[in-house]
Parts: sequence; C-alpha cells; structure tokens
Amino acid sequence: MYELRRQDFYTGLIIIVISLFVMVESWRMPRHIQDWAAYAAPGMVTGLLGLGFLVMGIILTIRSTRREGAPLAFKGSDISAYLSDPKTHHLGLMFALSIIYCLFLGRRLPYTVVTTIYLFTVMLVFRDPGPIKFFAIFKFLIISFATAAGVAFVFNRLFLVPLP
Amino acid sequence: MELGPILIFKELLKLFTPIVLFHVFWSTFLGMIIGMLPGLTATMGIALLTGLTFGMEPRMAIIILICVYVGAITGGSRSAILLNIPGTPANAAACLDGFPLAQRGEGGQAIGLAATASFIGTVFGLFCMAFFTPFLGKIALEFYSYEFFWLAIFGVIICGNLTAPTDPLKGWIAGFFGLLVSLVGMEGITAYSRFSFGFEQMRGGFALIPVLVGMYGIAEVLGGMRETILPKVRSKVGRIIPRIRDLLDHYRHILRSGVIGVIVGAIPGVGEDVASWVSYDFAKRASKKPEMFGKGSLEGLIAAETGDNACIGGAIIPVLSLAVPGSAPAAVLLAAMWLHGVRPGPLLMLEFPNYIWEVTAMMIMASFASLVVSLSFVRAQVKILLVPRYILMPIVFVLCVIGSYAINVRVFDIWVMMAFGVIGYVMRKYNYPAAPLVLGVILGDMADVNLRRALIRAAGDVSPFFTRPISLILIILIILTMISRTKLFKSVLSLASMKAKKIFRK
Repeated sequence: MYELRRQDFYTGLIIIVISLFVMVESWRMPRHIQDWAAYAAPGMVTGLLGLGFLVMGIILTIRSTRREGAPLAFKGSDISAYLSDPKTHHLGLMFALSIIYCLFLGRRLPYTVVTTIYLFTVMLVFRDPGPIKFFAIFKFLIISFATAAGVAFVFNRLFLVPLP
Repeated sequence: MELGPILIFKELLKLFTPIVLFHVFWSTFLGMIIGMLPGLTATMGIALLTGLTFGMEPRMAIIILICVYVGAITGGSRSAILLNIPGTPANAAACLDGFPLAQRGEGGQAIGLAATASFIGTVFGLFCMAFFTPFLGKIALEFYSYEFFWLAIFGVIICGNLTAPTDPLKGWIAGFFGLLVSLVGMEGITAYSRFSFGFEQMRGGFALIPVLVGMYGIAEVLGGMRETILPKVRSKVGRIIPRIRDLLDHYRHILRSGVIGVIVGAIPGVGEDVASWVSYDFAKRASKKPEMFGKGSLEGLIAAETGDNACIGGAIIPVLSLAVPGSAPAAVLLAAMWLHGVRPGPLLMLEFPNYIWEVTAMMIMASFASLVVSLSFVRAQVKILLVPRYILMPIVFVLCVIGSYAINVRVFDIWVMMAFGVIGYVMRKYNYPAAPLVLGVILGDMADVNLRRALIRAAGDVSPFFTRPISLILIILIILTMISRTKLFKSVLSLASMKAKKIFRK
C-alpha cells in the first residue's frame, strides 16, 4: 500500500497525456463527412471517451497527492533496488527472449528450428539452480523439438495454416 | 411449435457421435489441466483454443471451447485444494476450506465434493440459460440504438465496479481504455480510419483474439516466469467419490449458490470469481457453523464451487441474447462464435432459431464429461501439477503466438499480442482488472455505432437517450453502480436501513 500513492500519481499523469492526445486527434478528424452533421463525425465517440478518460486521470492524480504513502519523487536507491531484484532479471530475460523469438519468426529460418531454439534456451536459462546435467539438456532438447514439430504439424498439415 | 426440452434432446442426439464424444473428452481433460495449473486460466485456455480450432468445423470448434470452459472452471479447484493456490481466479474461494481439508488428509473427499458441486452448478446454470435466454432475447428485441449505447456503457461500468480489487475507478479506467482500443481502425459508418497513423495494418484495427491472448496469456507467462519459488503437492489424495449424504445435507447451499452464480454470471463482464466469493459469503451467513468457514468447512467448499460453475450458464445468457459477455471466458466464446459465422444478439432467435438449444446440448455434454473426467484419473492429473514452470510457460508462449497468428495469418497480430501482454502485466501489477478492458474492446463498436446512428436518426435530438423507459432504467443503474461504493452512499444506505428497522419494530 506504501507504493500505491506513487503508482497512482504517475499512472494518472500517463492517463491525462493519453486522453489529451485522444481528444486532440478526435478534434482533428473530419466533422462533416457525406454532408452529415457533426454528431455523425468519426471523432464524436472517441472525443467523448477521451473526455471521460481525462476526468478519471485527473481524479486519480489528485487523489494520489492527498493519499498517505511513499514520496512522489523517485530516488536513485528505489530504481537501483528494482533493477537489482532477481525477479526483475527473470522478467527482463523472459521478455527479451520472447521478443527475439518473435523477431526471428517469418524470417529465413524455418518455424520448427526457431521454436526449438527458443524453447530450449528458455528451459536452459530458467532451469532449477545447480550444475547442468547432460540428461536434463537432452530432456529439454527433446521436449523443445517435440513441441515445435507438433505445433508445426497440427497447424501446417491439419489446419492448412501457413506458419510464420 | 416444439418445446425447448424436446429441441434440446434432438440436439443432444445429433451430437452423440464418436467423433464429437472424442472431442468432448479430450477438450474437457485439457480444460481441466489448464484450470489446474496455476497461471493458466479458463480465459487463456479458450483464447488459445480459439486460434487452434479455427480451421475446424464451427460446431466442433464451439463444443471444444465450451468443454475447455467447463473443464477449466471445474479443474481449478484441484490446485486450490492441494496447493492452496487457485488454478483460476474463480477457485480462489475454494482455497479457504479446500486446503485445510487436504491438510487433514481429506484431499480426495474435497476434490470429489468440489467436482460434484461443480457438476450440479453447471447443470443448474445451463438449465437457467436455456430457460431465460429466449425471454431476454425477446426483451432485447425492444432495444434500439439508444438502449444499446447505454447497455455498452453500463456493461463497462458495472464490470469495472465489481472486478476491481480495491478501487472501482481503476476498473472504469480499464473499461474506458478498452472502449478506446476497440475504436482504432476503420469505423463502421463513414469508413474513416481512426488512430491508424498511416500504418496499413492498423486500418483493420486490433483483432480481438490477439488482444485477449495478450491480456490473459502473455501477461500470465511473464508473471509466472518472474516468480522463482514453485509450490509442491504435499497432501495425499485418498477417497474421491463423494458420499450422497454430504451433498443432500447441503442442498440449500447448492441451490442458493446456483441462483447466485446465474445472477452474477448474467451481469456483464463480472464472472466466476465474483460468483464464487458471493456464494461463499452467503453460505457463511446462512450456516449454523460459520466459525468452521476457513477451517475446512464442506459447506464453504460446496457453495464456492457450485457458484462459480453455475456462473458459466449465467454468463452465456447475455452472450446469446444481447451479444454482451457475462464473464471474461464468455467474452472469448462470443468472439469465437463471431469467427465461426454465428451472430449472437437479439436477432439470434430469428437467424439461428436452434442455436440456444444447440449450445445447451453442448453444455450438457461438457458438464457430464467434466464430472467423469474429474472423478477419474485424479492421481495422474495431480502429477501434472509437478511439471516445472520453466518447461510449461515457454510452451504456453509458443501456443499463444501461433494461436494469435493463425486467425488472420498476420505477423502484426503477434506484435499486438505482445503489446497487450505487456499492458496486461502492468495493469495486473498496479491493481487494474483485465476484464473491463476486454469487455470494453468487445462493446466499443456497439457504443460508437449506436450513439452516432441514433443521433443521425433523431437529427441530433438527444432527448430519446434520456426519456425512453429502458434507457432511463439503464441510466439509473449506471448512476447507482457508480455511487454504490462511495462513503456517502453507504452511510445514507445504513441510515435508511436503521430507520426502516425502527419502523418495523414499532
């Protein structure tokens, strides 16, 4: 709960920025398409939603400044504590590996190869702590290949969906 | 004209083929495993399977998705009982009494009772669905653009109110964000492309399935891989088949939780987790031994499991009659129906007259399959809980990617899924519920098109939005929902109830 004040404050600011952007963009949309009045304009509903979003963002921000809790400004120690947390490392690594996998999909390497490499790498990187055993590596490789080949077979051969 | 039960029976007969039975059993089993594994939810399972079954015949695809839905909600109690971790959010209330039972060595009995209560709840829900959907469908035929606009807003507001864990404002923010997301791309009245910024792919807007898979699948994978400590099964399973007496003794809780589950399910976007908690709370208030709740009470476990499964049928009522989902998994089911050419909503009874009976027959098959699967191979199923997360989660990620891609065969959808995965993860971390966003994405087009269409038809006159009876009811409901969690409203309500009590005492 200590961090809630700070989280709400910054989220509120982001919401205000997004809603202002939505409202400006809605205003810039054409207002008299096919000789209809302004109420038929494509930006009508987006503008209203943007307005509602703005009100909510303002309430969230103002409320957070009145709430008890962490100081609104971030300190260097807060950021370094977050960055040195092993959970953050896990999250960042998983996200990075997943992005790399998506980037390689649809390129020259076949789907089965890319998927096998991705699965094997994630299993190897996130395995239980301790020395690597040959059997475990072999098991990861078999599971990775079987999964990749199975998915490729089901989609490509059974559902006739071209693979990325 | 034939009666509903006869039509359901005819549909059941049509479904009794070896291939359908095969699909029913494997998909229920898969649903149960998805439900059992902490981190994989019913919504994620259905969203994944929607992509995987896209190439199949529509009837087969929908029955598979319904079986996964029922299986997942039923299976989630396994990990709640044995690990004290709910397999899906719907089974959180089952932890309170299921886990103490397992600690006393009665894990098998708890699993058996939970499975049977789930079955009864599903059957109760599906019969309510078959009975009430045609009525609601008739009422929905009275809806014009004005009412549909307010219905969309009401759905987002009530869903935000009931699913936000601490703060309804965050639920509404999520809902409004979902409405905005749905309006990206070419709109339906003047074909103007909104917020596409010149990107050709954005002109088509965001497809629903990649958004759903991202919000529920990728967010879950990222969250699951972030955690380092894994739970282990410690309890012995023991006897599984429940005693009839245990069920008969608690028939009041079963009946009450069934009604609560259906009502909560019919409220847009709220879903099984709320149904389960409300049923549990009501059972505790009505119990002769409320002090036993949280310490291994069979009443609590039965109430929670009946409530969340009855909610499935309840959540499908607004899907079929109004095209408004009652829960997050039902939202994916609605999207899947659209994908397979069925258009749920007020015109469903005219365009597909037998579809309600067909879905009811599918639900009957799913509920029986779920009972059979959940009471057999329990020990083998429990072993799946031991699969390490570092093996399971990357496989789930690969399935999420291919599931999102397969619908439109666009790499762009994979990036949409990833983006919404990150958004979903951040929202979860900061206590913003995902369900209102998903509901907003589904209802956004309804709000947009109906508001503008109504204004065009009424030449800019806004008065019908506030004077038509159904519109007025919806507006009152929206206002009541918004103020219901304010301190002022609560104090006024308590003052009024105190005064009312005094009047009755006199």
